[in-house]
Amino acid sequence: MEMLIPIIVTLVGAATPILIAALGELVAEKSGVLNLGVEGMMLVGAIAGFVAQFYTGNPYLALLCGAFAGAAVSLIFAFLTLSLSANQTATGLALTIFGTGLSALAGAPYSAKPIALMAPLFPDMLARDPFWRVLFGYSFPVYFSFFMVAAIWWFLKRTRTGLILRAVGENDHSAHSIGYSVVGVRYAAVVFGGAMAGIAGACFPLLLTPQWAESMTAGRGWIAVALVVFASWRPLRLLAGAYLFGLVMTMELYAKAGGGVLAIIPSELWAALPYLATIAVLVLISLRRDASTNAPACLGKPFMPAN
Amino acid sequence: MQFRLEKRAEPSRFMLYATPVGAVILTMIVGAIIFSLIGYDGIGAVREVFLTPLTNAYKWQDLGIKAAPLIIIGTGLSIAYRANVWNIGAEGQFVVGALAGTWVALATYTMSGPWILPLMILAGVVGGALYAAIPALLKTRLNVNEILTSLMLTYASIQLIYYLIRTVWKDPMGIGFPQTRRFAASAQLPTVIPHTIVHLGVPIAIVVALVAWFIMSRSVFGYRMRVVGAAPHAARYGGFSENKTIWLAMLVSGGLAGLAGVLEVAGPFQRMVPGFATGYGFTAIIVAFLGRLNPLGVIFAGIVLAITFVGGEVAQTTIKLPDAATGIFQAMVLFFLLAGDILVRYRIRRVVTTPAGAA
Repeated sequence: MEMLIPIIVTLVGAATPILIAALGELVAEKSGVLNLGVEGMMLVGAIAGFVAQFYTGNPYLALLCGAFAGAAVSLIFAFLTLSLSANQTATGLALTIFGTGLSALAGAPYSAKPIALMAPLFPDMLARDPFWRVLFGYSFPVYFSFFMVAAIWWFLKRTRTGLILRAVGENDHSAHSIGYSVVGVRYAAVVFGGAMAGIAGACFPLLLTPQWAESMTAGRGWIAVALVVFASWRPLRLLAGAYLFGLVMTMELYAKAGGGVLAIIPSELWAALPYLATIAVLVLISLRRDASTNAPACLGKPFMPAN
Repeated sequence: MQFRLEKRAEPSRFMLYATPVGAVILTMIVGAIIFSLIGYDGIGAVREVFLTPLTNAYKWQDLGIKAAPLIIIGTGLSIAYRANVWNIGAEGQFVVGALAGTWVALATYTMSGPWILPLMILAGVVGGALYAAIPALLKTRLNVNEILTSLMLTYASIQLIYYLIRTVWKDPMGIGFPQTRRFAASAQLPTVIPHTIVHLGVPIAIVVALVAWFIMSRSVFGYRMRVVGAAPHAARYGGFSENKTIWLAMLVSGGLAGLAGVLEVAGPFQRMVPGFATGYGFTAIIVAFLGRLNPLGVIFAGIVLAITFVGGEVAQTTIKLPDAATGIFQAMVLFFLLAGDILVRYRIRRVVTTPAGAA
């Protein structure tokens, strides 16, 4: 049991950013918008969070900056796809290319400059005992991610606003005809997704590696998009999926550190494993009968009210 | 006074071809403003990135060899996207094509003959097509989203390079560097213009695009691709199988990406190195869109994006513009193009404001 504790702590650290980004994407997709720009928004959030932490040393401000930066670039996507009804797939790709370039440009002066990792949320006293550390040893984003799973589940299932959001995603024309602003709801959902992706990105320098590196999210944003499909658009399954991926990435870290049996497999295969595992889970989920039936009916389709 | 969007009965052909040009011009203007605002020499940046590669004749050969892979991959992607098949893993197919070619080059290292290069090219095309067959199989059999699978395979392919050049293909003379040995003379792509770096891949790229244009506009295959993409219901009614179209789109786009990969490794690189995947497969997505998913347009778009690559390198040395600026310019081109799309389908009408004026 003692041995497992550092593994669990690593696992939670790996799963948290994917979970936060995927929750944001889930809300956007529930409103009918497929934003493939998650990876780009995460990178912009990562550099914004890094720079804020570098100059202020306040990780909460850094997370907030990440959220704002992610939300800001998501507005480009929202404007193009919702106001100008541009193709969502292409615009999402453009956003990822843009975010990758923008973060690299903004981050160029900061390479190899260290920052402080975010400290645990609870006082040391609670986390001294190894067992308690598993519960109380993490920093704020970990608890935030769990809170958001519950909050988004409740929001979508139990609130009127959540119902409207789902209606807009399931049948945009009906929602429009009974007087809801389809475009307005979708703007809000996309910007929320952008803010969540930004927070998720900021987690990389604040929780995992305390420095800036170009493309440091390394495809995790795409894995988050895949997880939403895997989870059949359900927040609780998203939690399970994110921790499954956290486990794969944790094994990779242990294999790289030369951990016994894990080292038999070449390190490159371990590095490729999260991506191959993504394909594997997409295949598995496709075998289920309800695989695509739970997808929001208007996902990815542009909406243009008749004049 | 307000403006209103009014749907056109027919998409405007003028706007279809005017918007890509407008997108590039807008990128130059807005790019200059943005880069000035964040403290760079904005006008200088635009001049170096967009104009210097054209005005400086020494840069033309660079343009050619950078445009070639973009045109070849972009042509394949334009065919796939026409059919609504979203292969965004061309970078991975480019890599696997290059690896397949490298395999032939290393296996024939002690041999020579004019047959080696064609065999490598064949291996590259087959390698790229096979790698694209994975998302095609998963899409047609299990309805797994091809965007995600093709992209995930790209990340995996880069690890495959690292593995092969660290272990089985490692250069015995490489003093520990993870890279293959330099290809033998028979496995190197010849140059077509003496005393330049312009290799055989450049004319091949033009031929590929022209042949693709001819096929897309004049054959049943092209008709199938266009109909399935534009009107899937009509296509099904007309007897075009959707699955067969997905297979064709994936194999053609993957095969062409593989071709670009093998030409790149046998031409400019002449060996496989860890930094081989430089993002041509991703930039080619922009090329396909900027070329309006038309192979002839792709030739021009490939040259435009090649200009930004070459110009980005120029600006790095002359005005210390970071490398990443190139990606921002490229993404801006695509943003403006996608924004401009609305002008193809809608016209803007000025309307006199009424209390219930539509936005």
